[in-house]
Amino acid sequence: MAGLATQEQRRSGERLQRLLAGYRPQSGVFDELLDADGRPRPHWSTLLNTLADHTGGELEARFATADRYLRDSGVFYRVQDDPTGGERPWPLAHVPLVIPAAEWRGLERGLIQRARLLDAVLDDVFGPGQLIKDGALPATLVAGNREFHPALRGVPVKTGRRLAFYAADLGRGPDGRWWVLSDRAQAPSGSGYALENRIALAGAFADLFGRLSVERLAPFFQAFRDGLAAASGRDEPRIGVLTPGPLNETYFEHAYLARYLGFVLVEGGDLVENDGTVYVRTVEGLKRADVLLRRLDTDFADPLELNAASHIGVPGLVEAIRRGTLTLANSLGSGFVESPALMSFLPGLARRLLKEELILPSVATWWCGQPQARETVRAEFDARVIGSAFGRRIPVLPGQGGTIGADLDGKTRADILEWMERRGVDLVAQEVVHLSTMPVWQAGRLVARPFVLRAYVAATDDGYAVMPGGFCRVSDTEDARAISMGSGARATDVWVLSDKPVEAVSLLPAPDKVRVHRANASLPSRAADNLFWLGRYWERTDITLRLVRALSARLSEAVSGGRGGASATKRLIETLVGWDAVPAALAGLPANVPMAALTEAVGTGSALVLAREARRAASAIRERLSGDTLRPIDELVALLDAARSDEELTPPEAHALTERAMREIAALNGFIFDSLNRRGGWRFIDVGRRIERAVAIARLTRQFGEPTATPDMLDLILEITDSQITYRRRYLFGAARLPILDLALLDPAMPRSVAFQVNEIVAHLAALPLDRTDGMLEPCRRLAQRLAAELATQEAGGIDRTRILGFEQQVMQLSDEFSSRFFRQNRLDGSDVKGLT
Amino acid sequence: MIYDLAHVTRYDYSAPVAESRCLLRLMPVDRPGQKVQAAKLAFEPEPARQVSRIDAFGNHIVEVEFDKPHKSLIIKATARTSIERSMFTVPAATRPWETVREAAREATDLSEAGPAIYLYESRHIAFDTRVTDYCAASFPPGRPILEGALELARRIQKDFAYDPKATEVSTPLARAFQVKRGVCQDFAHVMIAGLRGLGLCAGYVSGYLRTVPPPGKPRLEGADATHAWVSVWCGPEIGWVGVDPTNGILASDDHVILAIGRDYADIAPVDGVIIASGNHKLSVAVDVVPVARA
Repeated sequence: MAGLATQEQRRSGERLQRLLAGYRPQSGVFDELLDADGRPRPHWSTLLNTLADHTGGELEARFATADRYLRDSGVFYRVQDDPTGGERPWPLAHVPLVIPAAEWRGLERGLIQRARLLDAVLDDVFGPGQLIKDGALPATLVAGNREFHPALRGVPVKTGRRLAFYAADLGRGPDGRWWVLSDRAQAPSGSGYALENRIALAGAFADLFGRLSVERLAPFFQAFRDGLAAASGRDEPRIGVLTPGPLNETYFEHAYLARYLGFVLVEGGDLVENDGTVYVRTVEGLKRADVLLRRLDTDFADPLELNAASHIGVPGLVEAIRRGTLTLANSLGSGFVESPALMSFLPGLARRLLKEELILPSVATWWCGQPQARETVRAEFDARVIGSAFGRRIPVLPGQGGTIGADLDGKTRADILEWMERRGVDLVAQEVVHLSTMPVWQAGRLVARPFVLRAYVAATDDGYAVMPGGFCRVSDTEDARAISMGSGARATDVWVLSDKPVEAVSLLPAPDKVRVHRANASLPSRAADNLFWLGRYWERTDITLRLVRALSARLSEAVSGGRGGASATKRLIETLVGWDAVPAALAGLPANVPMAALTEAVGTGSALVLAREARRAASAIRERLSGDTLRPIDELVALLDAARSDEELTPPEAHALTERAMREIAALNGFIFDSLNRRGGWRFIDVGRRIERAVAIARLTRQFGEPTATPDMLDLILEITDSQITYRRRYLFGAARLPILDLALLDPAMPRSVAFQVNEIVAHLAALPLDRTDGMLEPCRRLAQRLAAELATQEAGGIDRTRILGFEQQVMQLSDEFSSRFFRQNRLDGSDVKGLT
Repeated sequence: MIYDLAHVTRYDYSAPVAESRCLLRLMPVDRPGQKVQAAKLAFEPEPARQVSRIDAFGNHIVEVEFDKPHKSLIIKATARTSIERSMFTVPAATRPWETVREAAREATDLSEAGPAIYLYESRHIAFDTRVTDYCAASFPPGRPILEGALELARRIQKDFAYDPKATEVSTPLARAFQVKRGVCQDFAHVMIAGLRGLGLCAGYVSGYLRTVPPPGKPRLEGADATHAWVSVWCGPEIGWVGVDPTNGILASDDHVILAIGRDYADIAPVDGVIIASGNHKLSVAVDVVPVARA
């Protein structure tokens, strides 16, 4: 037996050797995995052995599991340079960074001290300004900072803390010490991605994760959430995540954190300030906001007092903070401490403000606003990274990111030196940092790559706390100089080992603290608006697909010698042109119409364009939708996108594609019907669908049901409204106009009739909150009930074109009234505001 | 001199405005050499709320809110102000400009009175090396700062054509510099950009010029609207001195200060947030009349 064990050990040793065969850290660079003698450091052994115990194929399968999780969960970041506003998954490097407990404790101490220090600096700069009066901070260093808005001086913070959430980008130098490369204090991003990376990797390596005592992330977020709630000073505070909106590159994370922490996601337009208090516009009226987790830059936050050109802020926000009714985390101006120019002052400020030595050093930095620093930088110009001191664009600097002096040509160097003479205040020089490397899986083996670790600190009731983990960005080149990193090619999780057993904690509260209730938090008007439009665009996509299916079927029959009715085919094409699904120029090329109506990217009415609009509406409210809702929309867009090519689809091919597309429609419809919470936004999606369907059916009956309509045209109405079977059962004769108009418009039992849609809308309105207290009907309710009564009492014999047009127009008017009641609450009547929560 | 000021702003909207909030910088305040004897704002329609405060630059701000639909808005500001800038600074007696630059670096005053907040780029002041080089010609080594600034103002007056059609409020200063045309706002922005480009501190002043010149004197440009000029920091001993590049002169008893800031964005007479669907038409009328001494 002993012999077998030895053999097994030897084999595993051989596998480990194979795994590390290509792993060659550069000399002069610290490596996380191997020590100076090339031996694996002890805290990596469990992970390494696990990797070695699997074949390459097994590992790839595990990694693919993690990737699939991230893809399915919709972990996207918006790609800024993509004109179509595309979104991409954040690529995962599959080996986590492992940090032992003792080392982490040292980092933790340094990070907490730094958060305290930066908070104290903010408090002075936006408060009494003693540091400036005493010359500890030059007035020009403060004035040059873009976060220093003179208007914010003297604006107090209710909690006494200006920095509630802070992040530091850390790198480890060749001597093994950690250095702060940059401070993040405006609205540090990445913690949501870190959570998702954790779920992905811990899921793919569940066995390993269980064996290693890895610190959990949830308690950190729980403490942060409790800290924010306490900061409001109110019992059941309403806390929001304030986002710049879906176009921001980290919008996914804003939505993710809102959902994870249980906060409402709001944009500036969702909020309104009135008499010193900020309210959220919801479908139930205005609701007071107490705390906002700010992911919107200071400059844009309030067009009245900060940047007048901002369209995404809240007029009066600063006034609400001044009056103490609203807490922002982080406070306005917190990005002040991100400036690299501040770094060289931190050791002195730590001694002065905290009476402590700075634990975590920053990259050596010289601010050229000081004569002595300027002399030093001139002397060592080649060896320094020259950059902008406050993130401003400096015309003589080649780029935003900083450049190594030695890499500059003579003219640029002369220009920079002249700028330094005139306006040294704008420039900063830093030493060239070499990062440590960590293992990355590449083409079946491990390779050493440089990385930057972002660590997070949050204010809690119990002082600052550090997230035991982080967001690690890994380079895909070997160049270990920090300046070559960019934003990193891939991201990975950070596993902090515990020397105690780790308890599993989730964000679920203790059972005895849960009060059962059925009410959802009030739905913000903007979210309701997007749900409504998701419903409208999705339904319009459906109707368009139905028309394309009918057309491609008829064209296919014609190709195979069948007798497709020419009048219906012609009218279908005219309808698709009229709905802007295909360009008018295609009307003469019937065989090309189905493909164009499916995949045409210009215009407003092709199935692809409509599905994209539906996706846009959905992604603006992704925190309210599950993956099950988003997936069919994504798949439909992908399906239609993939079909775009120079190669024309034949009508039978287009028909097959339409059938596949309609399966995605059915998948989402089934989900909306069966699984969505009936109290939440479901009603808004459904009202959107009903309005769109009522309008479309009314239009179709006008176009295909006139007195001169051929049987083939009348058949088409039955086909689009799914009424063939009912019709055949009720009537023995072929398609006749009046019975068909009755089915399509008036029969309240037919799920696609106009009457059915209107009755559903009336039912939804009865369940939605009221805005008036005088007992009178709101305009949208009055309109819906009148239309329902008209349809209920109308006889098919009295219907003509004008009458149908009248129904159609009333539905459109209903849509307008519905929108202005629930989505556009611009009016702020003084009397309305009293008695709000 | 004592002046009666009247500044009437009128907005006509193509569609009724449901709700609007405005920030007004239309009330002059006491400043060195300037005393406000009376000042008043009148509105049509009447605002629902009205709040007054002094902003970070020492300007008097009035925030008003309208909550009833309206198709036009009239804001009428009136004030009586006396100006005695008898203590003129002799340009040749000011410090060499390089030492002023160093003094600004050592300043420990972050308030509106200190130089620090007027040293950097601001919303309308983007650095442009061509503008800096143009201005550098007025600042040979060792030249007294105000002498350099005044010469620069005269060069701008000579090199640039006064042409209200050439630019708008939003025209970047690089464009005005390129075409060498514009109005007082453009000339002030060009001069400020050049001074700051050299590392000097300069602010933007909005205000008024007397409408009718004294007998025998020419009528100055910019007298029938709000005017703008530059405030130059001349070192800790002298502080701020007004220089008018539109007219190539130092600010005199004919200049009434309304507001001061880093550039136009800080002193726009009316900033507002309006919730409306249509366009609007704006008209402004300014009157500055000397009051005969009793």
